[in-house]
Amino acid sequence: MTYRIAIDTGGTFTDAVVADASGILAIGKALTDPERNFVGVQNAIADAAGQLGYAMRELLAQTDVFIYGTTRATNAIVTQRTARTAMLLTEGFPDILVYRQGGKLNPHQLNVDFPQPYIPRRLTFEVPERIGAEGDIIKPLDEARVVDILAQLRAAQVQAIAVCLLWSIANPAHERRVGELIATHLPGLPYTLSHELNPILREYPRASSTAIDASLKPLMQEQLRLLEQNLAQSGYSGDILVSASVGGVMHVEDMIERPIYIVKSGPAMAPIAGLSYAALEAQGDNVVVVDTGGTTFDVGLVRDGRVTHTSETWLGEIYTGHLLGMASVDVRSIGAGGGSIAWLDAGGLLRVGPQSAGARPGPACYGLGGGAPTMTDAALVLGYLNPQHFLGGKMTLDAPAAQRVVAALAAQIGKSAEDTALAIITVANENMIKAIQEITVKEGLNPADSLLVAGGGAAGLNIVPIARSLGMRHVLIPRTAGALSACGAHFSDILREFNASSFASTANFDYATVNATLATLQAQLDAFATTLRRRGLRDFQQSMSVEARYAGQIWELQVALRATSLPDAAALQELIDDFHAEHERVFAVRDPDNSLECINWRARLSAQLPRGVQAPDSRQRSHPLQPRYLRDSHFGSLHAEHTRAAVYYGEDLMPGDCLTGPAIIEEPTTTIVVYPYCLATVTPYGHYLLEVQA
Amino acid sequence: MSAAPILETFDPVLLAVLSNRMDAIVREMTNTLLRAARSAVIAMSRDFSCCLVTGEGDLLATAEAAPVHVFGAHLQARSMVDLHPDLSEGDAFLHNDPYLGNTHPADHTILVPVFCAGMHLFTAVAKAHQADIGNSIPTTYHASAKDIYEEGALIFPCVRVQRDFRNVEDIMRMCRKRIRVPDQWYGDYLAAIGAARIGERRLKALVEQYGVETLRAFIHAWFDYSERRIVQEIRRLPPGRLENHARHDPIPGVIPDGIPLKVVLEIDPASAYIDIDLRDNPDCLPCGLNESEACAINNVMTGVFNCLEPDIPHNAGTFRRIRVHLRENCVVGIPRFPHSCSVATTNVGDRLVNATQAAFAGIGEGWGLAEGNPSLTSGCAVVSGEDARHGNRAFINQMFLMGGGGPASPVSDGWINLLIPVGAGLLYRDSVELDEQKYPVLVKSLRLMPDSGGPGRHRGAPGTEVVYGPRARPIRVVSAPDAWQTPPRGVRGGHDGTCSQDHILRPDGGETKVEGFINVELQPGEFIRGRDCGGGGYGSPLERDLQRVLHDVQERWVSAGQAESVYGVVLTRDARGEVNGVDVPASEARRSALTQGGAH
Repeated sequence: MTYRIAIDTGGTFTDAVVADASGILAIGKALTDPERNFVGVQNAIADAAGQLGYAMRELLAQTDVFIYGTTRATNAIVTQRTARTAMLLTEGFPDILVYRQGGKLNPHQLNVDFPQPYIPRRLTFEVPERIGAEGDIIKPLDEARVVDILAQLRAAQVQAIAVCLLWSIANPAHERRVGELIATHLPGLPYTLSHELNPILREYPRASSTAIDASLKPLMQEQLRLLEQNLAQSGYSGDILVSASVGGVMHVEDMIERPIYIVKSGPAMAPIAGLSYAALEAQGDNVVVVDTGGTTFDVGLVRDGRVTHTSETWLGEIYTGHLLGMASVDVRSIGAGGGSIAWLDAGGLLRVGPQSAGARPGPACYGLGGGAPTMTDAALVLGYLNPQHFLGGKMTLDAPAAQRVVAALAAQIGKSAEDTALAIITVANENMIKAIQEITVKEGLNPADSLLVAGGGAAGLNIVPIARSLGMRHVLIPRTAGALSACGAHFSDILREFNASSFASTANFDYATVNATLATLQAQLDAFATTLRRRGLRDFQQSMSVEARYAGQIWELQVALRATSLPDAAALQELIDDFHAEHERVFAVRDPDNSLECINWRARLSAQLPRGVQAPDSRQRSHPLQPRYLRDSHFGSLHAEHTRAAVYYGEDLMPGDCLTGPAIIEEPTTTIVVYPYCLATVTPYGHYLLEVQA
Repeated sequence: MSAAPILETFDPVLLAVLSNRMDAIVREMTNTLLRAARSAVIAMSRDFSCCLVTGEGDLLATAEAAPVHVFGAHLQARSMVDLHPDLSEGDAFLHNDPYLGNTHPADHTILVPVFCAGMHLFTAVAKAHQADIGNSIPTTYHASAKDIYEEGALIFPCVRVQRDFRNVEDIMRMCRKRIRVPDQWYGDYLAAIGAARIGERRLKALVEQYGVETLRAFIHAWFDYSERRIVQEIRRLPPGRLENHARHDPIPGVIPDGIPLKVVLEIDPASAYIDIDLRDNPDCLPCGLNESEACAINNVMTGVFNCLEPDIPHNAGTFRRIRVHLRENCVVGIPRFPHSCSVATTNVGDRLVNATQAAFAGIGEGWGLAEGNPSLTSGCAVVSGEDARHGNRAFINQMFLMGGGGPASPVSDGWINLLIPVGAGLLYRDSVELDEQKYPVLVKSLRLMPDSGGPGRHRGAPGTEVVYGPRARPIRVVSAPDAWQTPPRGVRGGHDGTCSQDHILRPDGGETKVEGFINVELQPGEFIRGRDCGGGGYGSPLERDLQRVLHDVQERWVSAGQAESVYGVVLTRDARGEVNGVDVPASEARRSALTQGGAH
């Protein structure tokens, strides 16, 4: 018997999900230790191992795949505990990281300080040199000056260096030489060169990703090396893989080279889980995946069987945060979840969030001193939660406290406590609907065509009305919903993306240059595949795409290539046709007489990890299904006749079971409310499929 | 504060649902226009806005639109109804007429009437500042134009450009024969049509979901809610009359004495109205700086909203409580044809926003704002010429390389990237690499200028210096920078920001200063250098938090010299001579001496 272990180290909890060839077997949880990372990892594995009757070492000895995910890099950035990093930029352009790309959310808000740059100006240095737009050298590199700067960096006790020179994507000679000088004069100091990390047009996103990557190198390299050592000492001898923001996993050595890929890697795994569960249950290949925690609501997308990516990933708020500058799984997060606080603004409008009561004091019903009504309190008032059986009985909720805080709000808006609680859920729904629309409707996709996969502890409370409002007919809630990200890691592939910036116009297409670029990308894919083959992997998939635009446009649309080269006019015409269709789908117009400009060429390789075939849930019902009891619950005036919901424990439900709403399913990590206009079925694999009536 | 007022009749939950949905539609329109457009001025710097207007012609939803663009869109939507009794589904209109509700001719506005169940329920509006509109010189800011004829803009007084969802090709051909780089214009036109059509699709789906009657009721309830919010804000203000003066600097040979401006505000918390009077200002002038009616209204409204709770919705309901009094034939009023409004959205408009928000500082400590950079320097010029890299293909575009120092507020330093007050920081910046790829220019440097932000308890944001020039062939640079004499002012003891400056730099090292209006052809080897203004400061610099001053010095926003002489701070240094702290007792002593010495 061989096992696979996936770890997700969050800010509060570390999850360990253990699987074997028949699927997920156990979910372990332990508190994260921010100082000694391996303590949380070890305890979570031990918890899961115990459920399977092993000691930790025994489990690790029988494990052949270990996947590690962590929010450590994200948290280090958020709390400004990354390395002391210097930024080297082309002379004359020292403020690229200060300006960012401009833009602001509220035109009339002028009473906030402008955010600090990712790297302070005092650690930003100008390198005398200049390369032109065509790769021409306008001003040669002043090497003596670079050596001077490096001496200053040594004196300033800098721990890492980011180098981003203008047009290094057209001619990397200067950046490369600066890298050599760093290696000579400051041997051993980690550094990142922009053209190597992220060769894209536009200096801000490229500089930003270079700065972020360099700043993470000392910390993440140390942490990952330590993890390798600790695992080896604990008896693990297999490959160590790390979750990446691109939605796959990378070998630990590759992550050590490019730690930027670990940023935001946690939420990126949830859509992978959604995709896998949907495929398993044969529910189509268009999926919206949501993860509702206590504080945040993450939304990701699967389209045509693929997880959707974005090249615009902000750490923090759009415009004022820091741009990751590279593709990542497109996960949008908003401040909404079980802990979101309900309040009235000055005009009397009901709002829910973005403030959250968090874990402490938490919702009023946690009894930890929380005094503001939250979505969880509203759910308790409505009878959706069982105060005695919350989290499978691990926690007792204070129902009178929830009633009290919701009633106080009710008095202000002149409604009953129940109607107010319904209103809180409804407004929270609306925020979440908006987040889902941002990623679907805004991209020209109709959510009604998709399956909704919902994970996270609070998802089951309101996912049905959300689905209904968006016209989505089916919701799948995995039994393991509480650890969706770590589950996703089990379904992920080894991923690697290469890209090359090479301009080509279809009006005068340079077949030789483009095909040479594509051949270079293919060679990179092949080289990577070779190293994977040496590690015993066999199952590869590759795809190529181009970011193109109409002649004169500024932003590109990504369009898949049908083959690995564009040999002739017919192949080019196919690409042009595909672009027109995509443009009309997204922007409602096309310009059929115009030519295209191809900007960036992307190549992507995925290698499937050995994974078992998930076995169906083989349990069979021996006696008729009975609810544990009936509970008073409220679904609004439209469903006034439904006031008694049948309550089931998850452990009582078997594949094929079918429940008509109103009903409530209580699982150890989540509670699912089956609304009156909804039908719940237990799938052959033991998950819950909700059918929502319009 | 007492309990919030109860929302009458309309379900407050549905109110939140639908108002959010309207903003989401505007955002989707905005994203469409940005991503599909062609000129850098639209697709990169986002000099455009989308909004929704009701069938009755009231501004409904604006999301993150620029106030200068959308406050006034209702005038355009009303003109569409007035002029076109045969309005029908599938129509789209092009409107850029500043005498009929538009901002200035460069803002091509696409209006799409949205019909539901046969009724005209909404108008979807997408307004974008074009790279070119066929003016007599290659700029969309013709400051020296004596009248509309010299300006030369093609004017579209709400002209039908689509019928049954198809272009009226006559109009397309007209534009292509007159607007420079017609393919660029056409792409931007298509993007705006796409944005408005996306808005139309989404609105129709929404009406299908909720029904016409619910949406009609929503519109009334939303305006009433918005009005209640502004009423509450105005009740918070002390009563009184605020008067402020401003000046647009001279343009030699065009307006030799500049333009004096006056804004008078009457705040009446009892009735909850703010009245703004702009009638005591000069008549329309023979230049391109006259405000359009839409701009005159929205510039002072912007100044007011900048000083109120930023979370208030901005729509026809809110506007009920702010009355702007204009007169005909006034430089900041209702323009009289054929006076030119070519530059209506910026220069004088920026001075009005500044004067209004700074007037609020007169209420007392904690109120109002200082002034922000009002100058579009050569860093934001319209640049044109031929691109030798592509067979001398013609190009034209407005650059957005400037920074534009934002005003200090009572609680924060100024916003870098304000651009100008009417831009409100919403616009994006150009990428140097993208500009150099798309247009044959070489940007030599682009940096923030230390000591340029007006000192104060809160400091104005620093201004930006941009240097660029042609590559193989000459380029024409046209711009109308203001504030080369009169800088953005500080308030409540805050100091002024720096003035703007534009210089042509010759290969021999010589420099020529350009004032008020730039219209030059740069030869290869020549460069132009634009320095925009730092924002004004708020409160005395001698009261600035010492740690903020230290941070400013260490981060090179402020020189050690200015920290010591203007902020009265005594700095300490480490062995390498780097500033590492503040000598607190010595600083306090110096500040007290400076205060008593009347230095401030």
